[in-house]
Amino acid sequence: MRGSRLLAVRGLGLGRRVWSRIGEMRRQLRAWRRISFTAGGALFTAGAFAVGFAAMNTGNNLLFLLLGAMLGIITVSGWLSEQAIRAVRVERLLPRAVTAGQELRIAYEVANHKRRLPSMAVEILDGELPGRAFLPYVAAGSTTRTRSVNTLERRGVYPLLTVTLSTSFPFGMFRKERDLDVPGEIVVWPRTDRPVPVTSQGGGRVPRSGAGAQGPHGHRGEYRSLRAYRAGDDPRDIHWRSSARLRDPVLREYERDGAETRWICLDLASAPGDPAEVAVEAAASLAAQAMAEGRSFALVAGPTVVDPGEGAGQLERVLDVLARVSFSPGAPLPDPPVDPGSCILVSVDGAPGFGDAVVVGRHA
Amino acid sequence: MNLRVLHRRLAVLMAMAGLLAFAGGAGVEPVSALLAAAALVLALLWQPGRELSARIERVWLPLVILLVGRALLHVFVIRDDVVVPVVDLILLLLAAESLRTLDAPNDFRLYALSFALLLAATAYRPGVLFLVAFVAFVGLATMGLMVGHLRRAAERHGVREIPLGRPLVWTTTGLTGVILLVAAAVFVVFPRVSSGWAGRGETLATSIAGFSDQVSLGGHGSTILGNPQIVLRVEFPGGLPQGHQGLHWRGRSYDRFDGARWTRSRGMPPSGGPTRWYRDRWRAPRLEQRIYGAPLDVRVLFALHPVLDVDPQNGIQPLFDNAGDFLYWGSVAPAYTAWSPGAIPPAEELRAVEAGYAPPGRYFLQLPELDPRIPALADSLTAGLPTRYDRVMAVQGHLRSFAYTRELPASARETSLEHFLFQRRAGHCEYFSTAMVVLLRAAGIEARNVNGFLGGEWNDFGGYLAVTQNQAHSWVEAWFPDYGWVTFDPTPAGAGGGGGSEAWFWPGRIFFDGLQHRWNKWVLDYNLETQGGLFERWSGLLGSPRVEQVVERTSGAGSRSFRGPILFAALLLAGFLWARRHRRLVPREARIYLRLREACERGGVTVSPGLTPLALVSRVRNQRAAAAGAAARVVDVYLRARYGRQSLDEAELRAMARALKEARRSLGAKA
Repeated sequence: MRGSRLLAVRGLGLGRRVWSRIGEMRRQLRAWRRISFTAGGALFTAGAFAVGFAAMNTGNNLLFLLLGAMLGIITVSGWLSEQAIRAVRVERLLPRAVTAGQELRIAYEVANHKRRLPSMAVEILDGELPGRAFLPYVAAGSTTRTRSVNTLERRGVYPLLTVTLSTSFPFGMFRKERDLDVPGEIVVWPRTDRPVPVTSQGGGRVPRSGAGAQGPHGHRGEYRSLRAYRAGDDPRDIHWRSSARLRDPVLREYERDGAETRWICLDLASAPGDPAEVAVEAAASLAAQAMAEGRSFALVAGPTVVDPGEGAGQLERVLDVLARVSFSPGAPLPDPPVDPGSCILVSVDGAPGFGDAVVVGRHA
Repeated sequence: MNLRVLHRRLAVLMAMAGLLAFAGGAGVEPVSALLAAAALVLALLWQPGRELSARIERVWLPLVILLVGRALLHVFVIRDDVVVPVVDLILLLLAAESLRTLDAPNDFRLYALSFALLLAATAYRPGVLFLVAFVAFVGLATMGLMVGHLRRAAERHGVREIPLGRPLVWTTTGLTGVILLVAAAVFVVFPRVSSGWAGRGETLATSIAGFSDQVSLGGHGSTILGNPQIVLRVEFPGGLPQGHQGLHWRGRSYDRFDGARWTRSRGMPPSGGPTRWYRDRWRAPRLEQRIYGAPLDVRVLFALHPVLDVDPQNGIQPLFDNAGDFLYWGSVAPAYTAWSPGAIPPAEELRAVEAGYAPPGRYFLQLPELDPRIPALADSLTAGLPTRYDRVMAVQGHLRSFAYTRELPASARETSLEHFLFQRRAGHCEYFSTAMVVLLRAAGIEARNVNGFLGGEWNDFGGYLAVTQNQAHSWVEAWFPDYGWVTFDPTPAGAGGGGGSEAWFWPGRIFFDGLQHRWNKWVLDYNLETQGGLFERWSGLLGSPRVEQVVERTSGAGSRSFRGPILFAALLLAGFLWARRHRRLVPREARIYLRLREACERGGVTVSPGLTPLALVSRVRNQRAAAAGAAARVVDVYLRARYGRQSLDEAELRAMARALKEARRSLGAKA
């Protein structure tokens, strides 16, 4: 009894494996090539059928000759389109990130590994992105670059798994596509140009010192200490002598760098949607504003905290976090490591206890 | 030259090839063809601007309407051939489309109209010119379609130029070759389930005199004079027989002579002679003749006498009439194989025969009212000769002393047989054959007049005997009991039928006619039988040795039968190697990573298309922790190679594969 059950289980397992293998082969085949008709190709094929039908009915040998030529053209079309996308490797060259609403230019380095045949009239499609790159000609054994232009309207992290090579070369009758596994992702930062409805002149009281946030532009007070260089810091602040001694770049920090920190707290307790996105853009705009004013700024978004810093590098760090945050109605209020009364809360619905609040509202 | 101009020129050249193909099949009305050709040549050299193009279109429109009206008139009112008006319309549209501005998106219209002309040409039985135009069309279409596609793709993506040049020409040449090969393969292999295609225009057959139900004495020679049109092409699979100039290609026989005309009697009983006589008594080696006839206005099959067997090749239905003449049913130009003895029986055998069955004398001994000198002449020629054969030869010998001339008699009185026999003593073959039949009948020997062709010109290039209309000839058949009808030719040797072919049979003509013959034989008349023969020959090459060969070869007798499977296995191996070569293009580490993703999916981990490698590891850690370590090792190596651009050594790749195996095992444990 037990033996037969074991046998049944093993048989079931084998069946699953076989089925899974078939599915895998089907997927591989699908990933390998896809062929579809263009309008002209459908018409041509229908014409070939019609000529074949007429040839068989009448026994007219010249119609057989025409049919042969039409089938020859279809064969050559299939073979040449295969050659166009065969032995081609694509390397995707992505920018570090792109701001929502701005042009995303993705470059592709395409190498044609064929010995003799060039690849002609190949389009490159990247995942779901609508923009296509076009390769008019890649000589055999050579490498060339092309690019696609897209515009992504929403911030976020867009995974890009496959690049599709698509061609209807040589006659435009059939479109043949081939997927290449080129994993990658594109980070889309939120927009930073949204006008922020700051309710108080202070824009958030300055922590510790209590001074106004609107300090004199470019005046950073006395030299205070050195710290390690972070990507995006202003290279003019590098202390070269210390960097040479420590063999790692270090930066000068000034008194007012820490004193005027703007703490931006993003409230994630909201349903995902347009208001939430507006809140993210408001937080990003506040950060950009702080950078433009030359002041230090920090971000608290859910459990993630970006420590105070300044300059373009700090803004990138903040935007990277903002690109990835996700909203959920039950999320806790942000818990900054400083007094909440010195922070600006950016929220959809608002919350008490913060020094200042930017409430975008449901109809923002 | 930029892509736009090149594309337009290629499309126009395609149209020209289509026009040439149609002209090769059906000919065209000179006016419309010339106008269309002129417009196409103009379009090749010049393209109008937008404004001018718009103005020209205003001219085309009423013309097109006019031609559509004309075509409709032909279909519904006149009810005659609609092809010519439709072709005129196509030509006009072609001219109009080719003279449009370069920006006009009319690619498909130009292609379709050119193809329509090519298609229309197939309704006829075009000559070799169609083949030339077809090859040109395929070449131009290959290049034109390719350039057109590149042009449109470049315009869509804002690319100004695509580097084309010599590689394009080579590529196109190669592709054209491939397309023509495929066309040839499809043509040869595609099963012919329907047989016989009477192309349009085929019934406009070559008119030929001398083979209708009645022939006037003297009329035949005047009609055939100087007509070099080929009526028969004859191949000899067993080799060209000796003395091919003396071969008599028999057509029709005539039994009734009224003094001026030969006719065929109605209601004649079977009188061709039993086939077994010819099969058994005519012992000369059999001569196989593959005969390709021109479409004539008479349904006569020509062959050497007597025909022992016949094998039709293109759907015609051969039949013997009561006189033993060889006719056929069918509307195509006849193609058939006939077997006949290579020579008449030896003289000794014919001399030995005297008594036996003879066909009805009222048909074959019939004579009109004759000048008494004629029977007297017959008596004087045959008196004292012991055998029928000797008597026949005596009459033939007498007539051969006459002169041959194609000059017609000056007056009606001079056309008579008496005038030929006793005054003029010169004439063409009809006079000789008529005189001999009359003399033989007067001497009591059954005889009849036969029309056909004599000899032919051997075409070395095509390997066939070309028989032309000016080789039409008349001769005699005399009856010999137990042997049947035996051919005798009283026309003086060397005169032949028409002759004079040297004047036109210059080498170019021979070459062209050889081409035409092959075209007819292998393309226009290719049929199920030819196809079967080819397949039989090929199957012999690939295996299935014939029985006698198996018997003869005791050692290694079956070696040929392995060729097919070996060829098949070689093809499979080539395919396998090709597939492996293709797989190598994906780096090994990427393949291992992709297998990990598949294994995760099978193991129940949710793997969405956009899942990044590290996110995959994180997900495995959450959902199938046991496999997380191995998955992380795979992903770590993959990321180092893919993004860190590290080159992996064999040990690392093996470690990666081991990690994949481990991950699979862990993932599969629960499943």
